[in-house]
Amino acid sequence: MKKNILVSLIKIFNKEPQFNEQSNAKIIYLKERDITGHYDQNLATFKSIFSIPKNTDVKIREFTIRALKRRAFILYIGTMVDSEKVQQSILRPLIENERPTGKIQDIISFPVEKTTTNIGDIINNITSGITALFIDGDRQCYIFETTQVQGRSIEKSDNEVIVRGAKESFNERLADNIGLIRKKIKNENLIVEGLVVTKRSRNDILLVYEKDLVNDELLQKIKDRIHMIDADSVIDLSILEQYLEERPRSLFPTILNTERPDRAVSFIEEGHIILLMSNSPNCLVLPATFWALFHSPEDHYLRTPYGNFIRILRFIALFISVFASSFYIAITNYHVGMIPPDLLMAFAGTRERVPFPSIIEILMMELAFELIREAGLRVPSPIGPTIGIVGALILGQAAVQANVISPIVIIVIALSGLSSFIISDVSMNFAIRISRFLFIFAAGFMGIYGLAALVVSGLFYLVSLKSFEVPYFAPMTPRFFSAKDLIIRHVPIKERFRPGYLKPKDMVKQRGDSN
Amino acid sequence: MMKQQPGKLGIREYVSITVLMVGSKASEDTPSLLSIQVQNAAWMIPILSAGLFFIPLFLLIKTISLFHEKDLFSVIEKLFGKYIGFFVCLVIFAISSFGISVDSRTYTNIIRAYYFNTTPVLVLYGLFMAVCAYGAKRGIRNVGSVSYLLIFYTLLSLFIALLLCTRESNIQAIMPIWGPGKWEVLKGSLKNLSLYADFFLLTMLVPYLRSSKEFRRGTWIAYIFTIILTSAATIVFVCMFDQSLGGIGYPFHSAIRYISLGSYIPNLEIIFFVIWIMGAFIRFTAFLYISALMFGHLFKIKDFEYLIPPLAAVYLLIGAIPETPIDVSLEWKSIVRMTAGPVFTAISLIIWLAALLKGEFKHAENKNSM
Repeated sequence: MKKNILVSLIKIFNKEPQFNEQSNAKIIYLKERDITGHYDQNLATFKSIFSIPKNTDVKIREFTIRALKRRAFILYIGTMVDSEKVQQSILRPLIENERPTGKIQDIISFPVEKTTTNIGDIINNITSGITALFIDGDRQCYIFETTQVQGRSIEKSDNEVIVRGAKESFNERLADNIGLIRKKIKNENLIVEGLVVTKRSRNDILLVYEKDLVNDELLQKIKDRIHMIDADSVIDLSILEQYLEERPRSLFPTILNTERPDRAVSFIEEGHIILLMSNSPNCLVLPATFWALFHSPEDHYLRTPYGNFIRILRFIALFISVFASSFYIAITNYHVGMIPPDLLMAFAGTRERVPFPSIIEILMMELAFELIREAGLRVPSPIGPTIGIVGALILGQAAVQANVISPIVIIVIALSGLSSFIISDVSMNFAIRISRFLFIFAAGFMGIYGLAALVVSGLFYLVSLKSFEVPYFAPMTPRFFSAKDLIIRHVPIKERFRPGYLKPKDMVKQRGDSN
Repeated sequence: MMKQQPGKLGIREYVSITVLMVGSKASEDTPSLLSIQVQNAAWMIPILSAGLFFIPLFLLIKTISLFHEKDLFSVIEKLFGKYIGFFVCLVIFAISSFGISVDSRTYTNIIRAYYFNTTPVLVLYGLFMAVCAYGAKRGIRNVGSVSYLLIFYTLLSLFIALLLCTRESNIQAIMPIWGPGKWEVLKGSLKNLSLYADFFLLTMLVPYLRSSKEFRRGTWIAYIFTIILTSAATIVFVCMFDQSLGGIGYPFHSAIRYISLGSYIPNLEIIFFVIWIMGAFIRFTAFLYISALMFGHLFKIKDFEYLIPPLAAVYLLIGAIPETPIDVSLEWKSIVRMTAGPVFTAISLIIWLAALLKGEFKHAENKNSM
């Protein structure tokens, strides 16, 4: 109730501005109508809709169909169709064929996708790269699938590098991406369902799931969430991710974003739902838990002991990258007694001529590290390596020699920075890097007590996070049946269950008695 | 089995909360207070008290499980009627509230005495209560999840600490085995029933578990666990400090100052402190949640979660009243100790008697046979 009062107060002071918007009622009315049999009227309608000739790449070609002895025109967007195909398989037969026949399908070798009459529908098709044929006296419009959009070919995954396993990654073409998934799951139950999210740009997204696995309630929940989006355009999947998340302001991600088809497939097989979107070289995995974000596909591709080794390594890296700097501050500022005397002397010796308190030192170096990191990302690739050298040389060596930073701090920062690279998921990585700063402040404020207080509060926060009603630490706590693939994974033969928090239709992945 | 209702506690989470709540008594001033009473037989008290408290607890749980998914207060009101029931509930709430204030102050005292000598008590105490209030506001399910995440490390560190302590200790210190005498020990265990008073309060959580059977199972698992834990910790402290245990305010924290890992790392206490304080946070978070639950039930407040921050503030203020740690340990705490145990025991027995006289047991039997 308190919140409501606040919200209404804010509303009183912050009125939404009134814009003098132009009405497009005429166009909307037009879109709802059907085309007519009159050649000239159709031509005029579409010319006005597509602003021809202002719109240079929208092509209209008028001609006479010899076989039918009728006038006709085709309409397409030149930059989105395969012009060769249009010329060879659609135009030429229509113009050259002389044998009288009543049906368009008999004249044209190119398969007719469908016929339609609704103007809005035709517009939607043309804007996605389809060729439309209008014939005088015919109340139908013929639609040909001639889309050919330019794009990247399938390349190696850049951001999620692994040693073993498939190397290919998603690209910007939806058809390719679906193909990558389909070739890994050869099953008729794999559903690729299309949805349109926005009205203006008509960004289409695809939901991919296995019909006989996925929980219908979950599927409906995700669809509802997608339908709730009310935006003119959502350009990219990463923006869609922010629309879909329950807590878009939270530090921790609740949706997994991956560019690896093999990873996507492994989640589909467990009963998750994958979202793909045209023009985005990645996919979203819903729902995602902490474990999904923390694991890497490599863990499973390597043999069990090796896979677990890198898991434990990653777990240690997580702790080091979060706590190294803050622990250093807490120990050196509040609990000096904990350091062995010899080491303490070494610390004191190196810090002797440094004029800053250690928290300032740490913050300076953390900032410098983040700067190098960000600069290394943004810098054009030919001078990329230079950044590393400059960063290491100037910030490391020189800062120490100038007595601005003590060497110990460099070690601490280098260790925590290095460790943070081991967390491969981009969002998780950010979450950890940012929370590191919070921990530094907590440790500076109250030493180890402040640190522990923040850890516990952080844990309280994390366990209360949910991704589409799935708790963040499920299936560890609250416990669900699962393959027990958490910190340590079993050998694949023992991983018998799909994650119970998804409530899949088929719980058991491999029956013990069926082999 | 697969379905999990939202907001329900799993048995693992419940056991973790309970073990952290009750077991952490071994890490504060309880062992030394026991030692003041019965010297080197202090380790027996947790076992004997547990034996004595078993009867009321068993009867209480038996009675409560008659009423499906009802918590302690609902059962009391149902059995005793509106007015007497309210009064009994109020007494329970008052005792537990006082207990929380005093106990949380004890923890703050420990933090101040051993780790942050120059920080004002109020700052340490305020931060402590703020974290607990934040956690409690997240709901009991999340408290359970965090305690399940932490319990393993807490117990492991406690175990390592105790193991390292044995290097400094002398097993002969437990002789003579009965300390001041059998009768004295038995009297001491009667006086210390409050060791397990938390189990009484935990019956408030019955509706938050998936079934009352899980509650029963979880309670007994935690019961056995905490007996072993408290007793083992006390044995180690007795062996380590011998006669001087009674004079040491907080044996656990003194003990971890003694131990070292080889000659290279002479002081380990910070590591143990971190884990201990995390356990302590959980303990009071759960406590705070339960007392908000009680308060909400008493005064018919449905959204009792909003009560948590104000309650935490009130407890903070009450806990800040005593001037010195000595006041807390010896005067204030002994009030709680003297009242909580006997009162809760008596209430448990009366509840059972009332149910028996009212024929609730027969009623339930008939229902089952139908």
